[in-house]
Amino acid sequence: MAVQAPSAPTVEAVEGVRVVAGRRRGLVTLGLLSPPVSWLVLFFLVPVAIVGAYSVGALQFFPGDLQLSFANWLHFFHGSIYLSLFWKSVRMSLTVSVAAVVLAYPIAYFLALVVRKRKYVLLLVTIAPFLTSYLLRILAWKVILGDEGLVNSFFYWLHLRSTGHPIPWLLYSQFTVMVVLAYAWIPFVALPMFVALENLDQALLEGASDLGATRWQTFWRITFPLSVPGVIAAFVFVFIPTIGEFVTPLLVGGTKGFMYGNAIADLFGPGFDWNTGAVLALFLLLVTGGLTVLFARFLQWRSVTAD
Amino acid sequence: MDVSTSKNGRRMMKVFFTLFLVFLYAPVLLLLIFSFNSGTSPSFPLQGFTFRWYRELLANHDLLGALATSAKVASGSSLVSVALGVLAAIVLVRRRFIAKPLVTSFLLTPLVIPYVVFGISLLILFQALHVPLSILTVIVGHVVLSLPYTILVLVPRLERIEASLEEAAKDLGASGWRTFRSITLPLILPAIVSAFMIAFTLSFDEYAVASFVIGRQVTYPIYLFSQLRFPTRLPQVIAVAVIVMTASLLVILATEISRRIAERRLGAE
Repeated sequence: MAVQAPSAPTVEAVEGVRVVAGRRRGLVTLGLLSPPVSWLVLFFLVPVAIVGAYSVGALQFFPGDLQLSFANWLHFFHGSIYLSLFWKSVRMSLTVSVAAVVLAYPIAYFLALVVRKRKYVLLLVTIAPFLTSYLLRILAWKVILGDEGLVNSFFYWLHLRSTGHPIPWLLYSQFTVMVVLAYAWIPFVALPMFVALENLDQALLEGASDLGATRWQTFWRITFPLSVPGVIAAFVFVFIPTIGEFVTPLLVGGTKGFMYGNAIADLFGPGFDWNTGAVLALFLLLVTGGLTVLFARFLQWRSVTAD
Repeated sequence: MDVSTSKNGRRMMKVFFTLFLVFLYAPVLLLLIFSFNSGTSPSFPLQGFTFRWYRELLANHDLLGALATSAKVASGSSLVSVALGVLAAIVLVRRRFIAKPLVTSFLLTPLVIPYVVFGISLLILFQALHVPLSILTVIVGHVVLSLPYTILVLVPRLERIEASLEEAAKDLGASGWRTFRSITLPLILPAIVSAFMIAFTLSFDEYAVASFVIGRQVTYPIYLFSQLRFPTRLPQVIAVAVIVMTASLLVILATEISRRIAERRLGAE
C-alpha cells in the first residue's frame, strides 16, 4: 500500500468517495443483472402476458373484433369439456406423483442413511437415467409394452394369450401414460428427499435410540417428520411438470390417455382457437404458479443440483 | 447399534434398491439388445445378430442432419445460458441490492412453467414480432429453460469462494474485469463446465418447446418424435439411441467425477 502517509482526508471527502463508490457499485450491479433479467422479461414474461391478453380477448388472431371479455373464461368454468379434462389430468398426475414419491422414498433413505461406501456414486447411478433422452426412454417402453413387445411376447410364449391378441390396455391407455411418467420422474424425485435425509442431524436419531425408542418409533417420530419438506418438494417437482404433459400422451396415450396439455397444444395448432387455448394455458399457469407459491418454503432449489 | 435400519431392514433395502436399478436400466438395456437384432421391427422373438443398423444410420442423412441441428442449438443455447448464468450468479452471491428475493425467484421461475404453455407463448411472441422461426428462435427458448439450472449450479460454487480473495485482488489494483478473469473465473471453472453440460443436455433433448418454435428445420428430438409416431426406420433410430445414451451417460459421469476431483483439490488447499 502507500508508503508515504497521506494527508488526513476530511470527513466530507470520505463520505463523498463512499457515495460515489456506492453509486458506481449500484450501477455495476444493475449492469451485471440486466442481461439475464431482460432476457427473461423479453422472452418469458412478455410472451406469457400476451397469452393473458388473448385469454380475455384483448388480442385476437383475426384483428377487427377487439373487445375485452371474460366470456372465454366463463365458458371454461361452466360446462366446457376442458374443465373435466383438467380434473382427469390432475388425477393422473396425482397418481404418478404419489407413486413416484412412495417408491423413491426408500431409495432416498437407503442412499442417505444406510449406505456407507460410495454413496455419491450410487446417487449418480440413480439419477443418471433422468439426464438421458426422455424420448428414448419412451421408445424403450413402447418396445416393452407394444403389441409384439416384451410383455405380450411373454404371454404368447406362456400361451396365456393367443398370438395376435395383445393385452388391450398395455399400450395407448391412461395406464401406459402413468407408468411411463412415473418411470421418467422417479430418479429426479429421489433427489430432494435424499438431500432432506442427508442433512438430518444424526445425533437426534442416536438420542432417540438411547432413550429407548425402537427403530420404527425413531423413524415415524423423528426421521419422517424431518424429511417432510423434502417429500413435499419432491411431490411438487413431479406434479407440476406432469400435469401439463403433452408429449407422453401423444406417444403412448392414444385417445384414452389424452391430457389437458394436449388440448392446449391442439387449440393452438389444428384447433385454431387461440382465445380458448389462451384461457386453458393461463389457467394451467395459475394452478402451477399457485402451487409453487403455496409450497415455496419447502422447495429448496439447491436440492435440484444436489450440491 | 445402527439406528437407521436393522440387519434385516438393511438387507431388504438392498434388495429393493437392486430391483429399482433393474427397473431403471432394463428398458435402456432392452434398446441396446434390439440395436443388434436383425429383425426390422423391435419385437420378440429376437432374430439374428447384426451391425446393419449402425452401418445404415451413417447413410441416413435426415437423422445425421437432425443430430447436427441439435448440436448447433444445444451449443448456442448453453453458451448464452452459461454467460447469463455467470452474471446472475455473481450478482446474487456478491452484491446486495433491493428486491433481491424477488429477482432470485423471478430468475428461477422457468423451472416451474409447463413447457407447453411456454412453447405456445413464445410462438405467439415471435409471430407478433414477425420473427421468422428458425434454430435461433429455439435457442432463445432453450436459454430461458436452462438459465435457472446454470444459476443453481454456479451459486453454491461461488458461495464457497471467499470474497476476500477477490477483495485482495482489487486492493492490489486489479480492475473488476481483471479480478474476474484471474481470480473468480479459474475458481468457478469446474462449475461452469457442469453448468454448460447440464444446459447442453437439456437443450439437446428438448422437444416440447422446440416443436412450437422451430419452423421447418428438424432437431434430433423432433426427428425422434416423428419416428416414434410413424416409424419407418425404427432399428436405425434405436441404434442412434444407444449411441446417444452411452455418450450422454459417459459425459455425465466424466463431468461429475472431474468436478468432484477439482473441488476436492480446491478444498484441500
